[in-house]
Amino acid sequence: MPRVSVSDVSKVFGPDTVALDSVSLEIESGEFVVVLGPSGAGKSTLLRILNALTDPTTGTVSIGGNPVSESREAVGMVFQMHYLIESMSAYRNALTGALGRTDDIRSVLTLNSRDDKKAALRALRTVGLLKEAEQRASSMSGGQKQRVGIARALVQNPSLLLADEPVSSLDPKAARDVMRYLKQAAEERDLTTIASLHQVNIAREFGERFIGIRDGRVVFDGSREELSMDIVDTLYYGEDNSQSPNRDSQPVPEVSDA
Amino acid sequence: MSTDQIDDILGRLERKTLIRRTVLLITIVVAIVTVYFGAGFLGGRPVPELIRFAQFGFFFNEFGKYARPTFVDLTFYTQENNIGGLAALGALITHPSSILATVVSLRSSLIVSAVIITLTIGIVGTVLGFPLALFFGVMGSERVTPFPFNFLFRGVMSTIRAIPALVWVFIYAALVPLSPLTAMLAVATDTIGNLGRLFTDELEEIQDGPIEAIESTGASRVQVINFGMLSQVSSSFVAWTLYILEINTRIAVSLGVVGAGGLGQYIQQNLNLFNSFRAGAGLVTLLILVLSIELLSSRLRARLRPSEHDSKGIIESIQDLADGRRWLGRGSKGQ
Repeated sequence: MPRVSVSDVSKVFGPDTVALDSVSLEIESGEFVVVLGPSGAGKSTLLRILNALTDPTTGTVSIGGNPVSESREAVGMVFQMHYLIESMSAYRNALTGALGRTDDIRSVLTLNSRDDKKAALRALRTVGLLKEAEQRASSMSGGQKQRVGIARALVQNPSLLLADEPVSSLDPKAARDVMRYLKQAAEERDLTTIASLHQVNIAREFGERFIGIRDGRVVFDGSREELSMDIVDTLYYGEDNSQSPNRDSQPVPEVSDA
Repeated sequence: MSTDQIDDILGRLERKTLIRRTVLLITIVVAIVTVYFGAGFLGGRPVPELIRFAQFGFFFNEFGKYARPTFVDLTFYTQENNIGGLAALGALITHPSSILATVVSLRSSLIVSAVIITLTIGIVGTVLGFPLALFFGVMGSERVTPFPFNFLFRGVMSTIRAIPALVWVFIYAALVPLSPLTAMLAVATDTIGNLGRLFTDELEEIQDGPIEAIESTGASRVQVINFGMLSQVSSSFVAWTLYILEINTRIAVSLGVVGAGGLGQYIQQNLNLFNSFRAGAGLVTLLILVLSIELLSSRLRARLRPSEHDSKGIIESIQDLADGRRWLGRGSKGQ
C-alpha cells in the first residue's frame, strides 16, 4: 500500500493570493485523515492538488513514490456538490468510475466489462444503494447523491480516497449517514482516506487523525485526544480567540446538532 | 419630513412621468410614419391610392372559397370518381387501397401523396442533418475545440445559415434536378447550420463540476466530452432536434412552393390557376399538418423535461402518451 507524501507544497493564485504555504505531510496507508479549517484556509486546494486537478506552484506530491499526475486512477475523489450526471441512473454514474481503464469506443458504446458492471453494483451495495441502482440521479436526495459519488470513486478501485467537504450541503442526519458509509467503505477496502470537513463535531466523530489548516499552513496535526477545543478555537478564530463562543464554556460540551 | 421635500420629490416624479409619456407618443408617431411611407415606397404610389386600387371584393371572395375546400384531389379514387367537398374524406376511409397507390405515385397533384412527400422531406432532411449538426455543433464549442480552431466549425455553420434553404434547393439542383430529393438535401444542409448552432450554444451552458468529476476518474479526452459534457445536454439536444423538425416541415412546404414538390407545390399551382376551392383544401391540409407536428413535438419536448423529483421509466412514459389530458397540457395523475 502506498503512502502519500506531500513535500513543501505551495500554491499561489493570481499575483499574490497564497492558498497553500509550504505544506509538508506524510500519510501512512490505511489512515483516515480529516482536514479541518475555516473557509478559504486551503483545504480544497490541498485535496485538488492531491488529485492533480490543480498543479502546485512549487513542491511535489507523490503517492507510493510516483508523482500524482501519473497515478490519477489510483486516487478517487468525492466532491462537495456530488457532481453526478443528473440524467443518468445511479448505476451508470457509478460506472463512470471505471472510465480510466475502459477504452474510448467501448465506454461511449457502454460496452463495459462484466467485471466493471459488477464492481459498480458492489460499490452501490457498499453505500447501501443497491436497490436504488436504476434510479435517475436527478430524483435522489442530497445524501443519496453523495453516496453515489462515493460509489463512483470506489469503482475507480483507488488506493487513496479524497473527499472534499462531502457533507457540507447536507442536513446533520444525512451528513452522518454519508460519513458512516464513507468510513465503512474505507475500512472494508483498506483505503487511505483524506476528507476535508468544516463541521467540527462530525469531524471528531469520524476522524482518526486531524490536520488543521489556517491561512494555507498546517497548524495542527494529531489524534482525536490531542484535538482540544482550544486548538479548534485557535484554528477557526486565530490566536486572539475572544470571539469564540466556546471560550467561557470549558470543559468542551459535546456539540450535538442531530 | 417637511412639506417642501414632499413637493420636491413629487415634482421630480411628475416630470419623469411627463418625459416617459412624451417619448411613448413620439415612438407611436414615428412607427405610423414609417409604415405609411414604407408601404408607399414599396407600392410605388401614395397609400390612399394603393387603398383605392386594392381589389378587396375579389380578395375576400377568394378567401370565402378557401373556407369551402374541395378535397377532390385527395387520392386517385376521389379524383377519378369526381368526389369533391368533404365527401372525399369519407371516400378516403372507405377506399384505403387507393391511399397506397396515391402515395407511391409521388404526385404533388394529389393531396395525400403531397403530404407524404412534404413530411418525408422534413423528417429525412432532419435525420440526415442531425449527425452533421452534432459534429459541427460539438466541435464548434470552445469547451471541446480550443479557441481559434472552433471558429473553423462555427464559420462553416454561419456560412450555411447565411444561405436560406430556398436558395440551397437551387444550388443542389445542379446535382440532381429540382425534385423532392433536392428539397431533402436543402433541408439537411439547413439543419446543420441551425441545429448545430443550437448545440454549440447549449454546450456553453453546461456545469464544470461533472466535467471535473469525470476528469478525476482518469478518463480520456473523448470520455470527458462524452460523459462529462454531452450527457449533461443529451435531453436538450433531443428537444432542440424536435423543434428543428417542426421548422423543417414548414421549410419543406415553402420548398414545394418553388417547385420542389409536395404540399407547397399543390397549393401554389392551384392558387396560380385560381382553383380556389382546391387551393383551400391544400391550405386546410397544411394547417392540420403543421399543427399536428407542432403539437406532437411540443408534447414530446415537455415530456423530455422531467421535474427534479419525478423519475419516470420508459414504460410509464409510454403509458402517459395514451393520456389525453397530458397532450392538452393539463397535467395528469400525481401532479
